[in-house]
Amino acid sequence: MALLEEPIKEVRTLKNYIDGEWVESKGEIIDVVNPATYQTIAKVPISTGEEMDAAVEAAKAAFPDWRRTTPVARARYLYRLKELLEENFEEVSRIQTQEHGKTIDESRGETRRGIENVEVACGIPTLMQGYYSEDIAHGIDEFVIPTPLGVFGIIGPFNFPFMIPLWSAPYAVATGNCVIVKPSSEVPNSQTKLTELAEEAGFPPGVWNMVHGGRSVVNSMLEHPDIVGITFVGSTPTGRDVIYKRCGETGKRVIAQCGAKNFMTIMPDCDVDRTVIAMMTSFFGNAGQRCLSAANAVIVGEDDAFYKNFVDRVIEQIKSIRVGYGLDESVQMGPVRDKEKKDRIIQYIESGIKQGAKLRLDGRENIKIVGDYPETCFLGPTVFEDVKPDMKIGSEEIFGPVMSIMRVKDLDEAIEISNDNAFGNGNSIFTSSGKSAREFQYNIDSGNVGINIGIVAPMAFFPFSGMKDSFYGVLHTQGREAVRFFTESKVVIQRWF
Amino acid sequence: MILHTASEGITFSRKLENDSAEFYENLAQQSAEDAEIWLSFARENKKNIVQVERAYYGVITDAIEGCFAFNIDPDEYSLKTAIKEGTGYADFLKQAVEIEKTIIQFYTDAAEQSRSLMADVPRVFTLVVRKRASRLEKLDSLLKR
Repeated sequence: MALLEEPIKEVRTLKNYIDGEWVESKGEIIDVVNPATYQTIAKVPISTGEEMDAAVEAAKAAFPDWRRTTPVARARYLYRLKELLEENFEEVSRIQTQEHGKTIDESRGETRRGIENVEVACGIPTLMQGYYSEDIAHGIDEFVIPTPLGVFGIIGPFNFPFMIPLWSAPYAVATGNCVIVKPSSEVPNSQTKLTELAEEAGFPPGVWNMVHGGRSVVNSMLEHPDIVGITFVGSTPTGRDVIYKRCGETGKRVIAQCGAKNFMTIMPDCDVDRTVIAMMTSFFGNAGQRCLSAANAVIVGEDDAFYKNFVDRVIEQIKSIRVGYGLDESVQMGPVRDKEKKDRIIQYIESGIKQGAKLRLDGRENIKIVGDYPETCFLGPTVFEDVKPDMKIGSEEIFGPVMSIMRVKDLDEAIEISNDNAFGNGNSIFTSSGKSAREFQYNIDSGNVGINIGIVAPMAFFPFSGMKDSFYGVLHTQGREAVRFFTESKVVIQRWF
Repeated sequence: MILHTASEGITFSRKLENDSAEFYENLAQQSAEDAEIWLSFARENKKNIVQVERAYYGVITDAIEGCFAFNIDPDEYSLKTAIKEGTGYADFLKQAVEIEKTIIQFYTDAAEQSRSLMADVPRVFTLVVRKRASRLEKLDSLLKR
């Protein structure tokens, strides 16, 4: 199968987008590398604190007029953005594959999920309506007006370079706020393209800004008194100990969506064919680099024959996964984002061996890469059996293509070990029993729950939830909760004499 | 090589539509009398591509198993689209019938395999099957002429 054409053809140094202008950064410039080819595809600045300050000033200055722009008019900018995203769908998707490594089907899926958030935010004239009570006392009425707050910071992760800022940005601007997006410096091209389209959609200067960078830019966001809130998606240590903590100290609103260790419970009465395929996508989609990836396969029951047959089927299917560059349409799993991440995954594999898990499939060795690409960022799928919940590979987030298989005697034990884990992001059950499914749904401590669903990704009109160490905050991104997050309730009680 | 990903499946359907469209465009040059029929087939093929791609791009998310969507052997659906010099018109018609039957088989199989995708994809495949079934009736009537 021929390779799809790469959209990024020359190495350019990316700029910040501040106050409607593309501005060169004075910060250090670092390379952005395609993980499949290991070639440099762009150069990105690590912007300075002053550049972040300039973006905040621009956003702050734009806020009063943008707030006064009617919701219907603000929605029209989003309709234009939606049309531009559809027109540029394929290019946007291929950029994701080129800079992140995911397969083209996965990138197109990410693009669609991102656009869906723009579509939902287009409904802002009704989504942000307040409510009204007449005669709360004699001749007195009371009503609530959801009002925008000002300037928000949006910090994106590396694993969904296009979609995740769209869990927040469309709702923030639709409700009348201004935003500064900080993409991951590992994958800055997708947000650059999105910002170009936002510019083309005609958002007024200062409403939608983008500043590239790293920790110093995030620190500037956290410290800036004119940033009223931050949405963040990334690791738990950063989300909990830096973002959530500092937002609390500085009085900012915060959504911190963090790490995960997702348990997939497999009941003996599951539909084996469909479950096995769902497992491929769940464990190895995006090369396991998603906070909704299953990590632990918990197989329920004491039926040795079922266990053996099921695991053999899984292994057989995994062996057929084609690993390679995601712009090859036949590829089913791409590389991980960079060599450091690969090394970290390998350390987990080594710890699994050391702690006594049975290595059934070793993704470190004999990686069969489709095409002639360096092995630098590639790993094959790895499978462990006999994993215990207290092993590192059974309890910590690996963020790579590693499946840890556990056995438990019954559903109660499956729920118990899932709930004992520190995270609670996207746990699922595969079963044909409504009773088991209901029991699981009721008792599992997980923000997103899958019933015969491997990737429990909420649609744009539902909140992207999370519990325990997977989420810090109150409201979530997407849908009505995002609208609530980006607005303050102004309550008016009125009487006319 | 077996096609597994949704992207491969859609690309293959585009190939079948384009290859058969090219056949009909060439056939139109062989027969002034029926040229409009063949050109309308070719135009319809282009519409099919748009419809199939629209369905795919509309539903391709992590809600479906996009990288494990199909199990299609393209060799089972190879088309003979070359227009050989000296071939009689009736043989061209028979060639067209074979092309349509092969493509119908592809879309039927693809619709069956994609039932686990969202409804849009199997539905558009089934619609193409229906359109092509009416083409077969048309070809049959031309053969009987």
